[in-house]
Amino acid sequence: MRKVGIIGVGQSVFGVRGDVTLQELAWEAINEALNDAGLTRKDIEISVVGSVGTREYELLPAVPINEYSGLSEKGPLRVEAACATGSAALAVAYNMVASGFVDIALAVGIEKMNEVDSATSLAVGGRSGNYLWEYHFYGTTFPAYYALYATAHIAKYGTTEEQLALVRVKNQKYAARNPKAQFQFEVTVEDVLKSRPVAWPLKLYDCSAITDGAAAAVLASEDAVRKLKIDTPVWIEAIGYASDTANITRRENYVGLKATRLAAQMAYKKAGIEPKDVEVAEVHDCFTIAEIMAYEDLGFVEKGLGGKFIEEGQSDIGGKVAVNLSGGLLGKGHPLGATGLAMIYELTKQLREERGRDRQAPLKRYIGLAHNIGGTGHYGYVTILRR
Amino acid sequence: MAEKKTSRKTVKMEGPAIDSVPIVYRHKIPIGRVIKYFDGLREGRIYATRCKNCGAVYYPPQIDCPYCGSSDVEWIELPREGVLETFTKVYARPQGYEDFEPYIIAIARVGGVRVMGWLMNVKDERCVRVGDEVVLGTTYIDKHNKYIITMQLKNKQC
Repeated sequence: MRKVGIIGVGQSVFGVRGDVTLQELAWEAINEALNDAGLTRKDIEISVVGSVGTREYELLPAVPINEYSGLSEKGPLRVEAACATGSAALAVAYNMVASGFVDIALAVGIEKMNEVDSATSLAVGGRSGNYLWEYHFYGTTFPAYYALYATAHIAKYGTTEEQLALVRVKNQKYAARNPKAQFQFEVTVEDVLKSRPVAWPLKLYDCSAITDGAAAAVLASEDAVRKLKIDTPVWIEAIGYASDTANITRRENYVGLKATRLAAQMAYKKAGIEPKDVEVAEVHDCFTIAEIMAYEDLGFVEKGLGGKFIEEGQSDIGGKVAVNLSGGLLGKGHPLGATGLAMIYELTKQLREERGRDRQAPLKRYIGLAHNIGGTGHYGYVTILRR
Repeated sequence: MAEKKTSRKTVKMEGPAIDSVPIVYRHKIPIGRVIKYFDGLREGRIYATRCKNCGAVYYPPQIDCPYCGSSDVEWIELPREGVLETFTKVYARPQGYEDFEPYIIAIARVGGVRVMGWLMNVKDERCVRVGDEVVLGTTYIDKHNKYIITMQLKNKQC
């Protein structure tokens, strides 16, 4: 397998993007990524389009997206792994370059979730477990699935609703400084606690929103990186992947995600690093409880101590690992197919030290980690980057 | 103490738009191989399957055993009592459930498996505890013309 570098990244502004079509939105990310790499569309050998594509009017989005961006002869393929779709697209593009199938590949992730109303969007999300045995009978929703984890985590480890709220407070602090975030303002613990219940114990501000957005990355082999004279390539050190049961009743417990644990173990082993080596991380905070569990399942802190970890500021700049300096899914928004690649976008900027002083992680080892979960722990991807 | 910020910038860009030609999905779900489960719900019983060859138990039920490759399974009735492992009360309801009052989705350990159901007759979800004992049954839901599994707290009122 060949070494693979990230040589260009792009991200659209996240939010409600009723001003553009899917193709126009994808172009914003693709164009920025190509310019960032110093390439043109002609240099791309293949494009991998990550899209869950269950809320848009365009049901098979890869081809229209490629056509609009002038890539129609570049053999697109479409990848889906629920909310981990962006990471899955990266993994496919990575393997195409690593294997020698191509030298330069483009990974694009996109979702337009606001083309339908919120109730429809909730109904689509609620079907992401096993429809017949869950949604059909009991009207599960995405927040409800994670709320089942929150209830169990609170009961077993004494995690508090205030600790959950602190995750949102931290992530909004950085979203307020991110001009591409959906929610560019700060919140207090009180704001979170007083927000309306969505799926108890999770309240509105414990939940990521319904977002439109796109993100993209250009990947190149080590030879291509040299030939193109790229100054600051960010290397993909390892990609770990895992999965778990469709039915939530068949999970081993409700206090952590096995898919995170297994994907992380695989990634750490492949990269030859330990959790404590990670300096900057983008983790899958689709809900506040998800970030708490991620600290534990990624090995940043012992199981059950995730609440204490945020309370002590260990996941902030100046702590053990700076987590979600993009604002996370909570603050930046969570357009499903784009999320994994938006994590790569943020980490690439962080590892190149291109962020302003107000949200740049201090780096010594230059190791970043992206943690992207699909569904309610159905898919897990952990990607380790190093500059 | 910093002054509280009053500007709450949220990205919301709208423009001219048209409506798509609507599409309605109404799927047919084959239940022929698990019809016993659906019959059971009507009779107030909850069934799982057990592989006759290797003994693996499946809930939700399935007819093919991926562990040993056999498709020779038997139906077993689950006990009517269990222990709450977790629960949530759904306030933001999805399409198709808008007409229901907020409902509690619970997962209980029942025998050797876990079962999802609606926890009924609870006024205050904050008084329900993981570990509470529950009694299981089934209830007809008129609005959807379906039977579902319902649970009641065994030894307490909330």
